[in-house]
Amino acid sequence: MPTNKPTGAQLVISTLKALGVDVLFGYPGGAIMPIYDALAGSGLRHILVRHEQGASFAADSYARATGRVGVCMATSGPGATNLITGIANAYMDSVPVVFITGQVSTHLMGTDGFQEVDFLGLTLPVVKHSWLVRDAAQIPAILARAFAIAKEGRPGPVLVDIPKDVAASFVEASEMGELPAWTPAAPKAEAIEAAKALIEQAQKPLLYIGGGVHMADADAEMRDFVERTGIPFVSTLKGLGTVSTYHDLHLGMLGMHGTRAGNMAVQETDLLIAVGARFDDRATGKLSAFAPHAKVIHFDIDPAEFHKNRRADVAILGDLKLALPALRPTMPDISEWVKLNKANKWQHRFKYDAPGKGVYAPALLKSLSEKAGKKFIVACDVGQHQMWVAQHCEFEQNRAHLTSGGSGAMGYGLPAGMGAKLGLPDHHVVTVSGDGSFMMNIQEMATLRRYGINLKIVLLDNSSLGLVRQWQELFYEENYSEIDLSDNPDFVEVAKAFGLSAFRITQRHEVEGAIDRLLAADAPTLLHVLIDPRENVWPLVPPGASNAEMMEERWDEPIDSY
Amino acid sequence: MSQSIHIEIDRLEGTLLRVLGLIERRGFHIDEIDLYDLGPDTRGLSVRVRPRDAGRNIDILGLQIDRLYGIKRLEQAPERAQTVRPNAEKLSA
Repeated sequence: MPTNKPTGAQLVISTLKALGVDVLFGYPGGAIMPIYDALAGSGLRHILVRHEQGASFAADSYARATGRVGVCMATSGPGATNLITGIANAYMDSVPVVFITGQVSTHLMGTDGFQEVDFLGLTLPVVKHSWLVRDAAQIPAILARAFAIAKEGRPGPVLVDIPKDVAASFVEASEMGELPAWTPAAPKAEAIEAAKALIEQAQKPLLYIGGGVHMADADAEMRDFVERTGIPFVSTLKGLGTVSTYHDLHLGMLGMHGTRAGNMAVQETDLLIAVGARFDDRATGKLSAFAPHAKVIHFDIDPAEFHKNRRADVAILGDLKLALPALRPTMPDISEWVKLNKANKWQHRFKYDAPGKGVYAPALLKSLSEKAGKKFIVACDVGQHQMWVAQHCEFEQNRAHLTSGGSGAMGYGLPAGMGAKLGLPDHHVVTVSGDGSFMMNIQEMATLRRYGINLKIVLLDNSSLGLVRQWQELFYEENYSEIDLSDNPDFVEVAKAFGLSAFRITQRHEVEGAIDRLLAADAPTLLHVLIDPRENVWPLVPPGASNAEMMEERWDEPIDSY
Repeated sequence: MSQSIHIEIDRLEGTLLRVLGLIERRGFHIDEIDLYDLGPDTRGLSVRVRPRDAGRNIDILGLQIDRLYGIKRLEQAPERAQTVRPNAEKLSA
């Protein structure tokens, strides 16, 4: 019967618009059809991906790159379960994304209905919060609350699961209502004083900068703190670029594939100042041997992170934008410590003169980041190439390094690059992928083509699962089990079949020209790079070892062409 | 040794599952549960928990529970030795 009352689905769309959403990623299906019906002609920009996992990663990277809340939609059952990897990814890396899923009608729930899964139940461990909507009138308030929860405090993914009959039902128009205001906690003065006293007594202080700094938009405050204090710093994988990686005091990434200078500094420091970092095992190595001589100051917005892996001598809870400026120590003389670290950094710098004529991936990536300039954003996949990007690319900007850190989800790179480019169209967005990872969401090249998303792709192809192969070589007596991908398709032809431009290089002398051509292209383009399958990521801290026990690079054989 | 945690939770879908799931995922056995009414919107939940290994800290668990939405109040009772309930034998039979 015709009515002027809105449906729950219409409330979903009008609320998303009211919340300022400009783009959302998704894939329709049976249970979410009322919402897609309301979406048509609404003015909201929807990106129809080719797999729900692609939508989840794209929404995640859109949020990381722009600082806004990402939005993603899928239908019930398999549509929803295809999102789970992306939800877990956003949870592990504290990314604000609202996931809206269709659910079977209320009367079918619990009957094993077609395309029914208990998605609220399935996702409980990997969401910050979730709702199963029972009453359409609550939709505006729930969505508004979902956006607020996704962003406030420690950000994270929020799920709103909406049964089909709820979405289709007519309701009295309702509004979002007034949201409870969230004010970031200010740090306690006594904690700041205690931290100040520790810094003033320290002889070898070291900053350990994590991804939480840019999640708090506190990059300027962090940079100011580094300049004011002159304390050397190491970065986590997600912290890279928070303070320019070109900075004189930057000792590189710490941890499993960190720099020798960075890990040596951690082993020597007498005061470790962790800022928005969570003492992840990839960063700490053997926990009992991590920063063994150090007292710890820990800044975080999430109290549950304090003392979780390492007891902090001073824990400073609250917004980094307030806490960092409040901490103003009178610096002791640390000139000898700074000098020592700079000497280590120089002595153990990366070398790019690998023998042979084949493409040396670290040198290619270094050149790529130099040529791309300040508006350079890299979306990484997961594997050796990801570690090479972290080691060899330079980042001068916050939010320029998009990587699946905590989750380590292969397949992230291509949809992540897509989401970032849609969020920041005037930036040079480059996806760096490996052949294993690229195949996991290769279908999203069709999405690039459809919307003309000018993403550039550097595909480093070693015809194997490189990081697994490296571990099998080093820790499993060269028992190469199920890592061979030598029957990969011709990626240039595949890209062309999807409607992208594509070209290949195999020799070192081709690198510079290829990067220029790639960056200058005005359409989505794939650069396929054949690299030596035997190449490893160095340095490496063996699993279970302390960061002091790094294995070093060996160049016994030339990097030949393949 | 096991310890009791007393929690006031919102009467909302999923809250109970969130709390119990989190306790188990964070490495604690649940030995006893008591759920009771505290009003139209609030339920009380007392949980006796025991860490699976020595590395598990109940204070950290408390912080992790506390950050869940739908948790109104949380307190931990003093540690006590694990007791065997009178009907434990019957339950395991």
